[in-house]
Amino acid sequence: MTNLSPNLRSNLFWTVVGAVSAILLAALWAAPLLWALSTALRPELETVSAEFHWLPRTWTLDAFAKTLAAGNLVRWLFNSALVALSVTVVTMAVSLMAAYAFSQLRFRGRGLLFALAMLAFLVPFEALLVPLFRTMNQLGMINSYAGIVLPQVVSPVVIYVFKGFFDAIPADFREAAVMDGAGPLRVLWSVYLPISGNIVWAMAIVTFIAAWNNFLWPFIIVTSNDMMTVPLGLTQTYDAFGVRYAQLMAAALLGALPVAAAYILFQRKVTQGFLAASGLK
Amino acid sequence: MASVRLRGIQKRYGDNLVIKGIDLDIEDGQFVVFVGPSGCGKSTLLRMIAGLEDISAGTLHLDDKPCNDVEPSRRGIAMVFQSYALYPHMTVAENMGFALRLAKVPKGEIAERVGRAAAALQIEHLLDRKPKALSGGQRQRVAIGRAIVRKPEVFLFDEPLSNLDASLRAQTRVELAALHRELGSTMIYVTHDQVEAMTLGQKIVVFNGGRIEQVGTPLDLYERPANLFVAGFLGSPRMNFIPATLAGEEGATAAVRLPDGGIAEVAADVARARVGAPLTLGVRPEHLRVSGDPSAAGIAATVGLVEYLGDVTLVHLRVDGVDGMLAAKCGTGGAAAALGSRVRLGFDPAHAYLFDEAGQAFAHSRAGVEAADKVVVDE
Repeated sequence: MTNLSPNLRSNLFWTVVGAVSAILLAALWAAPLLWALSTALRPELETVSAEFHWLPRTWTLDAFAKTLAAGNLVRWLFNSALVALSVTVVTMAVSLMAAYAFSQLRFRGRGLLFALAMLAFLVPFEALLVPLFRTMNQLGMINSYAGIVLPQVVSPVVIYVFKGFFDAIPADFREAAVMDGAGPLRVLWSVYLPISGNIVWAMAIVTFIAAWNNFLWPFIIVTSNDMMTVPLGLTQTYDAFGVRYAQLMAAALLGALPVAAAYILFQRKVTQGFLAASGLK
Repeated sequence: MASVRLRGIQKRYGDNLVIKGIDLDIEDGQFVVFVGPSGCGKSTLLRMIAGLEDISAGTLHLDDKPCNDVEPSRRGIAMVFQSYALYPHMTVAENMGFALRLAKVPKGEIAERVGRAAAALQIEHLLDRKPKALSGGQRQRVAIGRAIVRKPEVFLFDEPLSNLDASLRAQTRVELAALHRELGSTMIYVTHDQVEAMTLGQKIVVFNGGRIEQVGTPLDLYERPANLFVAGFLGSPRMNFIPATLAGEEGATAAVRLPDGGIAEVAADVARARVGAPLTLGVRPEHLRVSGDPSAAGIAATVGLVEYLGDVTLVHLRVDGVDGMLAAKCGTGGAAAALGSRVRLGFDPAHAYLFDEAGQAFAHSRAGVEAADKVVVDE
C-alpha cells in the first residue's frame, strides 16, 4: 500500500466508497423482500410474536402450502396473467399503430390529435374512475376480463416513446418499402417493428409489469373473487382473526414470481431498449 | 421499358412553389440525368415520378398512361436511394426478394430471380449477409439488385454514388453504364456531380431553382450552353466569366470591350444586342492560353495559384476588373508559370461564348468559328 501513488490511492478509496454504497443500497432494496420471505417461512403464530428476529425460529412451508391449497391464488395468477398479457398485446398494437401514424403518415389534424393524445398525460387516472366505471357498467363489463383490460390499453407514454423512436428511423426505409408494394400496416409490421425490436420489448415488459401490479382499476371493476387479480386477491388473505401475515407474504411472493421471471428472461432486451430510447446506444 | 412524359409539373409546399412547371419527354430505354445544385428540385421531381410526392399540378405519363394518382408500387418503377435503404434486419437475399414476396410471387421464382440478379452484380456470395456486414460498394450493388429483381420499366437513381469513395465511384459509373446497355431500361439518374452527368447521361437535364435550364446531350450542353448558369455549372473548373460590353459587330464576329479597355473578338451572332450593351464573355479553362511573354497580345493577368494535377496544371489568374480568379488548364510539358508572374491570356474566338445581360447565350456564328485565332487588343 505504501508504494501506491497518490492517484492510485485516491482511485482505490473511491472504488471502496462506491462498493460500500452499492452494497448498502442493495441491502435497503432487498430488506423488505427478505423480510417477506422470512415471514412466509414462519408459522402463523410466530409472525405476530412481539419479539423481533430476522430469521424464523421454526422453519416451515406451511404458509405456501395453505396459500396454494386454498385454490384462489392459482385462479388469481391465471387472471393476472390473462389480464397483463392482454393489456400488453393490445397496448403494444394500439400504441405502435398510433405512433406510426403520428410519426410517418401525413393527414389533416395530425398535430392536434397528437397533442390531444399527449394531453392525457395531464389527466390522473383517478379522475376517470367514475366515468369509466359508469361506461363499463352501461356496457355490461363489470366483473369481466374486457372490463379490466380495455381502460388500460391506451398509454400516451408508450405512444410518445414509439413516436420518438420512429421519428429517428430514416424515411428512406418507409419509402423503399412503399416502392416495394407495402401498405402502412405492412411497413409497420415488416420494417419498423423489427428495426424497433428492443424498444418494443422494453415497453412491453414495462406495460406487463404495470398491468400485473395494477390494483386500483381491478379493485373498482371486480367484485367477484373468481375475477380477482393477484394484487386484489392479496387483500382477501385474512380470516375472522385478522390478517394472516405468513400466508399474505407467501401469496405476495408467489404472485410476484411470474413478473420477476419475465423481467429476468427479457432483462437484456429491456436494458437495450431503454438505452435505445434514451439515445445512448 | 417505358417512356416518361411530364407536362406542366408543379410541386407546391404551402405557398412555396418548388417545382415551377416542368415539361420533359424521356424516351423508351433512354438514360437521362437530372443535374443541378442542391435544392434545385431535381430529387423532388424524381420522387414525384416515383409517386413518393404528390404532384400539385400537371400530368405524369408513364408509357402514355396517366399516372398522377397511381400507387408507387403499381407504376412499374424501381428506385435506388442515396442511402440505399436496405432493411437492416433482413439478409441481402431477403432485401432483394422483399418486393416479390409482397407481390406473392412463388418462393422458387423469387429465389431464381434473386439469384440471377445477384449473379449479374457478382454478389452471390453476399446473399446470406445482413447489410451491416457489407461495404459501401456492396450495399450499393445490393440496392441496385433489389431494383433489378422487380423487372421495372423505369429505374430511378437518387444520387446512388454519393456515399462511395472516388475510385469506387468511377468503377461503379462504368458498371451502371454497362447495366443500362444490358437491360435497355429507361433510367433516370439524379446527381449534382457533373462528371457523373456527363459520363452516364444520353440526355442531361440541367435544373435550377425548380426550373429546367437546358436539356440536351452532354456534348450539346458543354459546347452550346443556353445560358450563364449551364455554362458555369458544367465543366471543372467552371467556365471563366469576364464582364464586357459590346463594342461592335463585323460580319460573324462580335467585338467586345474588356475591363482593361482591350477588345476581344468572339464568333457569336450578337444581332439582337446594341452596341454598348453589357455582356459576359465566357471562356473554358482548357481554351484559355497563358503566355509568359509580357509583350504578347492578350489580357494582362497575374498568376495567383498553380495546381499540379498530374495530367494537367491548373493556373489560377487574377485579372483587373474581374471578380475572383480565372482558371487556365495547361499541359504539363511546358514551363509552368511562376507564382506572382505577369502573363498574357489569349483564346480562340471560336471557343469563346457571349451572354447577354439576362444571362442568355448568343448563338455561335459559323463564319466566326473560322475567324482568326487571336485576341486583338486595341487601346
